[in-house]
Amino acid sequence: MQRIKFIDRMASGRIDRRTMLRQAGAFGVGLLVLPRLPQAAEVLTCLEWAGYDSPDYFKSYTAKHGGAPNFSIFSGEEDALAKVLAGFKADVMHPCNYSVNRFVNAKVAAEIDTTKLSNWKDVFPALQMASGVVMDGKVVMAPADWGNSSIAYRTDLVDPEYAKNESWSIFYDDKYAGKVCMLDNEIAITIGMMVGGEKYETAAVATGEKLAAAAKEWGTKVVKNSRFLWNDPSELQQALASGEVVAAYAWNDVYRNLKRENIPVAYAKPKEGYFTWFCGLTMLNTGKADPALAYDFIDAWLSPDTGKQLIEGSGYGHANMKSFEISDKQAITDMGITDPAEHMKQGTLLIQVSDAVQTEWNKAWGDLKALKQ
Amino acid sequence: MIQRRPDWLAGYGLLSPAIIIMAVMMVTPLLAMVALSFWTQQGFELDRSFTLANYFALVEPSSEPTYWMGIPFPLTYPVPAILLIKSLAMSLAITLAVIALAYPMAYFLAFHVRGQKALWLVLLTIPFWTSYLLRVFAWKIMLGFNGAINSGLKSLGILTEPLSFLLYNPLAVMITLIHAWVAFAVLPIFVSLDKIDRSYLEAATDLGDSRLRRFLQVTLPLSAPGTIGAALLVFIPTVGDYVTPTLVGGPSGTMIGNLIQELFLKQNNAPLGAAVSITMMVTIAAIVTLFLWLIGFRRLRSRAR
Repeated sequence: MQRIKFIDRMASGRIDRRTMLRQAGAFGVGLLVLPRLPQAAEVLTCLEWAGYDSPDYFKSYTAKHGGAPNFSIFSGEEDALAKVLAGFKADVMHPCNYSVNRFVNAKVAAEIDTTKLSNWKDVFPALQMASGVVMDGKVVMAPADWGNSSIAYRTDLVDPEYAKNESWSIFYDDKYAGKVCMLDNEIAITIGMMVGGEKYETAAVATGEKLAAAAKEWGTKVVKNSRFLWNDPSELQQALASGEVVAAYAWNDVYRNLKRENIPVAYAKPKEGYFTWFCGLTMLNTGKADPALAYDFIDAWLSPDTGKQLIEGSGYGHANMKSFEISDKQAITDMGITDPAEHMKQGTLLIQVSDAVQTEWNKAWGDLKALKQ
Repeated sequence: MIQRRPDWLAGYGLLSPAIIIMAVMMVTPLLAMVALSFWTQQGFELDRSFTLANYFALVEPSSEPTYWMGIPFPLTYPVPAILLIKSLAMSLAITLAVIALAYPMAYFLAFHVRGQKALWLVLLTIPFWTSYLLRVFAWKIMLGFNGAINSGLKSLGILTEPLSFLLYNPLAVMITLIHAWVAFAVLPIFVSLDKIDRSYLEAATDLGDSRLRRFLQVTLPLSAPGTIGAALLVFIPTVGDYVTPTLVGGPSGTMIGNLIQELFLKQNNAPLGAAVSITMMVTIAAIVTLFLWLIGFRRLRSRAR
């Protein structure tokens, strides 16, 4: 019982400095010579949107590697970027055409070698070359999914007149105060300016006095009128289903899921225009996993099988042309448009803004939320 | 022959693991935070030259005051000041409510429970058997639009439309935090009540004190250390809480912790976030010091009389 004796002696003050140091040294040496535990190969880490971590979207990856990657869920690209910049080691991120530039500018995005993606040849040519996919001649994002952002509203709880004159103004209308739900994103200010008659392309890049005035006039109102600002589509879905919220900024999947539950809901084509976007997968240079894993994961996302899941399950479009050949015909008819280039033209494609503008908008939006009374 | 060493060496020897952990896990990050608050964020890069700009930004005056709850804040960037005051006010209310709820529980436990005290103490800790996050979510379910309170009142026919003011406001944050912290406050109050020598109480009764007078003159002062400890235990951590406001507060329930998180994460301005954190820490320390000084002061005065 050498150990207990040692502690007893130490407690009673009968240990000299040399013995103390000798014991501490022996402990340290002992730790160092312990056999190192065998380390498993590094698992792929992906930064994903809520809901996009569904195993349906990367089946071939799971089949090949026997398990899913690790996911870290973010609610907006700026959160994810800040997390990466703060030292989070992720291998793959899911940005969109309007936000991928932030990752490139922050020097955390890596170039994608498309020859390593077996499904790349079937990607719509328009998407292969789209701005956001290619930056400075390099492919920085493998396009995967595309869809809309518009207003999902309860036809039974909103004034019937609204259906005849759908507009984003519902978020700024005091009649619906506490009954609407905006995305927790600075786009709420842009939309306000569009309601005020400004064009999206000029509104989205407003700075200085103009942004401050818009934040005060439109931002304050939408933050005040929103029941909450959503980060998680399932939370929004529940709120719309229960009638807690009657109209909300929503993506295709929320509308599709509610429709499937037979809830009377419509997906608006507002007079100011609805938004279109496409997102994809970007390889980050911050990860620790083998890049081959990242390529397998991205390839899985580009597969027609994943496309079928997206089209039939959520009503999103997919980058692979073949996915439209194998999907349910009714689901494709429900989507309306099956050509991404045509789809982007029908709505307002969300655009990239410079880092300085984005920083200013992040602050404006953060301040607005904090000052809600 | 081992020479006998002074006791203090043995003391430090035994304490050294704790001291090392404190130094590595507490003091170092804190110093890093202080250093960070004197730097500035330039785009994605950190400018490491010393500046007080972050602290100045918190107090920079403006000719156009921002009004919040009717109070003018003549600052260029009023958000941190407003949220700090709001958080302090909320925490103060939470602390008072927690003490008001915890004191009777502790009193009951100390004076009226005979025999099964250990059992009662275990019962008190039952809420801690689930995680804090789950308890916050439980309140979301309680207060929600289709939650327990609303559907309960609706099925009783008291309500036709669900109450929407229950969730997503400062009140929801306060209710949740009060519930989360009550059990923490019961224990220190119980310990100080349990330690009271019962003969003092008998003496007070023998000398003709009524029950109320006995409580005010004997029990309350003697339990003050535990009560003050409990108050600090609740007040200090709740000021900076950010999980609860995120989940049940909505934008109007935002507290200073949310701003710090927002600055570090979404706004990518860690130096300003650090400056806000340090300011919050210093403010809390000042308030606590002032509070303790006031209490000590009053005790001295009452002894002198």
